[in-house]
Amino acid sequence: METFQVRILAADRAFYEGPCVSLTIPASDGEMGILARHSSMIAAIQPGTLRYQVPGEPVRLAAVSPGMVKVENNEVLVLVDSAERPEEIDAARAQRVADEAREALLQKKSRQEYQLAQAALARSLNRLRVRARGVD
Amino acid sequence: MAGTKEIKTHIASVQETKKITSAMYLIASTKLRRARQELDSTRPYFEALRGEIKRIFRTVHSVDSPYFYPEGDDTPLEGTYGCLVITADKGLAGAYNQNVIKEALRLLEQHPDMKLFVVGEYGRRFFTQRKIPIEHSFLYTAQNPTMARAREISALLLDGFDRGELKEIFVIYTDMESAVSFEARSTRLLPFHRTHFATSHKEREVRTSFEFLPDVKTVLNNMMPSYVSGFIYSALIDSFCCEQNARMTAMDSANQNAETLLGELSLQYNRVRQAAITQEITEISAGAKAQRQRKGR
Repeated sequence: METFQVRILAADRAFYEGPCVSLTIPASDGEMGILARHSSMIAAIQPGTLRYQVPGEPVRLAAVSPGMVKVENNEVLVLVDSAERPEEIDAARAQRVADEAREALLQKKSRQEYQLAQAALARSLNRLRVRARGVD
Repeated sequence: MAGTKEIKTHIASVQETKKITSAMYLIASTKLRRARQELDSTRPYFEALRGEIKRIFRTVHSVDSPYFYPEGDDTPLEGTYGCLVITADKGLAGAYNQNVIKEALRLLEQHPDMKLFVVGEYGRRFFTQRKIPIEHSFLYTAQNPTMARAREISALLLDGFDRGELKEIFVIYTDMESAVSFEARSTRLLPFHRTHFATSHKEREVRTSFEFLPDVKTVLNNMMPSYVSGFIYSALIDSFCCEQNARMTAMDSANQNAETLLGELSLQYNRVRQAAITQEITEISAGAKAQRQRKGR
């Protein structure tokens, strides 16, 4: 299959740089697949599971937070706040964060704290999902 | 002239102080190195992000977003402003804190209706002492700038901005221009003006048109929080680097001062000691002479 270059940059490091066969991103209206020779586009990424396939290897998963993806001249640039591989995710920690966030949501706190807790809950649930699917 | 004992204690105390300042110098230099490394590892992401925002502006001309000024308009808005002031937790860093606070006071004078968000213990103490109300102070962030902290700060600021409580948001931080010079700066963070992302003439115009999914506004609004937290993060780290750098310079000159002081003191000590010895010898020899004269009689 034809390959294309992909760069996945997280805020704290370069997550992956190299050839790729297919890339699936969580977009705002469902998942979106990108193959070689995709037309130029810029799309928003929602927190969720990103899947990419390096030639000759099985599909890899990553938990990503919001960001954007750009396709131009058969080159894909993914910019996300954070990206983690399933094996890097600490399930116990994610579970703890999720529990804490759920508790915080129950307490009557300020709007801002509520939103922070909501975001933390979404992030940790997403991590747990990726972890469960990625490490069998 | 002081006695030998006083000079000795003085020397000892200077030596103790010098030990502390040179330790602080070393600590500051390791912290600086670590912070620089962190900054370097995040830089590609933020540069790419900024580049993409710029690109969107080059392809699309009118974006209707609350985060942006309408095109061709750059008049200051009415209403309450927010201001993030980044200071250090401690002093002993030359004029670092003073410069930041001076800049903040200047901005406050221009626009008194301003809510202050203060990072660092020093700034918090300064403003409470002068009874200038602080909207929110973030403690323990100046010492350890992390992405999570930056996100917290940006969430708080963006929340105020989204609700319309803050019309404009400024950041006062210290920018490292080179290894030796740094400067306190105030930058308007929100709303953005498209000139922040203006194309320089060297860059080529883009010809390819992009398809935006779901639309330009959503994409931009999705990117903005990341950009804001990224900006705050780099401002935090930049300030932290400057703080450490300022402390290194301050401690270095303190060390040098201690050196010269020690030199002077040991010279003085030796003189006093010599004088005491000479005096003793004179007394003894004078006494011996007197004795001999008495015997000879």
